[in-house]
Amino acid sequence: MLIETDILVIGAGPAGSTAAKHAAQGGAGVLMMDKKSEIGAPKRCAEGVSNGGLESLGIEKNPRWITKELDGVRLISPNRTDVWLTSDKIDLPETGCILERKVFDKYMTMDAARAGAQIKIKTLATGMEKTDDGYLVSAESMGESFQIKAKIVIAADGPESRVARWGGLNTTAKPKDMESAAQFEMAGVEMENNNCIEFYFGSVAPGGYAWIFPKGDDIANVGLGILATKTDKTAYEHLLEFVAKNPATQNAQPVELNIGGDPVGGMPKKLVDDNLMVIGDAAGQVNPLTGGGIISGMTGGMIAGKLAAEAISEGDLSRKKLKKYEDECQEAIGKSINKYLKVKDYMLTLNDGELDSIAEAFQDVEFEKVSTTELVQKLVKVSPKALLKLGKLF
Amino acid sequence: MIVKEWCMYCGECAGVCPRNLIEVRELTLKFNEDQCKECSLCIQVCPVKALEEDK
Repeated sequence: MLIETDILVIGAGPAGSTAAKHAAQGGAGVLMMDKKSEIGAPKRCAEGVSNGGLESLGIEKNPRWITKELDGVRLISPNRTDVWLTSDKIDLPETGCILERKVFDKYMTMDAARAGAQIKIKTLATGMEKTDDGYLVSAESMGESFQIKAKIVIAADGPESRVARWGGLNTTAKPKDMESAAQFEMAGVEMENNNCIEFYFGSVAPGGYAWIFPKGDDIANVGLGILATKTDKTAYEHLLEFVAKNPATQNAQPVELNIGGDPVGGMPKKLVDDNLMVIGDAAGQVNPLTGGGIISGMTGGMIAGKLAAEAISEGDLSRKKLKKYEDECQEAIGKSINKYLKVKDYMLTLNDGELDSIAEAFQDVEFEKVSTTELVQKLVKVSPKALLKLGKLF
Repeated sequence: MIVKEWCMYCGECAGVCPRNLIEVRELTLKFNEDQCKECSLCIQVCPVKALEEDK
């Protein structure tokens, strides 16, 4: 069996669905496939997004997929010195919300379907070969093998990022650039303020951080990301220790375990080739400091989807035409990713004592906004070492 | 490669495989063993120690 389509999107996460929606809205024929039997499950994510990010994508909030509106952030250093950034103290709270990814992802895919995209679930891409006018992708679904002929393939297959590599793009993540993450969703969590997301820094999560993101009165995602190059223990072992020792989670019980990789090495230089584009986690479209990649991946998806439809209507599927996606991505998310790469590298040099000193110094700082940029700007003010490394960037 | 029964098919191993040899399905993990150079990066990054070299 051979299916033909203008655009084939492989992977129906938020980035893939956004690309499929915008490509279909642009008038192209779109097929999107996902290997899973349920879009959005299991989640591989702490589920936090900024309100401004959703707005920039033109997505209206829906109570069906929002579990918590956030009021601020709490940062906790190794000796438990904490820094609060909450709306009562700050004039411009640019906060966010916690999603229910299992519902959110499905809604994004439904939007793509309503825009005209065809969706195939439980369908795995097993390989692809270049043809004169596109790609021939081999796929399997429920025991049946078939091929899909596409003029443009949009690779949105997540941190595995196999599809772009089949097409010759180098999207392999090195272990030093791949956070290894483990998370429980828990009930009975006793947070000091269950409208704030919490970040724990230091040896509790070597090479990353631990988090508690509230999803309800006593429900939260409790997780951490580590770099395997920085510790001999697994992410899961670190998580068990964190949960056992943290006052907020000592009496909590898990109802779900999530694990996965998060590429924090930034975007590869080359994101397109003739008839091929790569988006989302597969393209490293993740803030390397926070590991957050929902909004940035969807932004990549939006840019790619629109341009892919334009390329189809103009009949120009060359790398030269599609390169506009690389340029626009660089502007929209790449510059910021590159800055945060520097901050991440700086954070990796700090030991527990230095993190405690920063938290101490932050006690006297008046924050004006709740944002990562604001935090780094203030960090540069309190730490001469940070000023030296990051002063020019922020 | 031995895949332990507690593997959760998250695919982190596939992402770091320098030769792109790991196929992650919903409930199976398939290695192209013939081309594997035993760099062990997949074993190193697994969040739950679900991979073990088949010696």
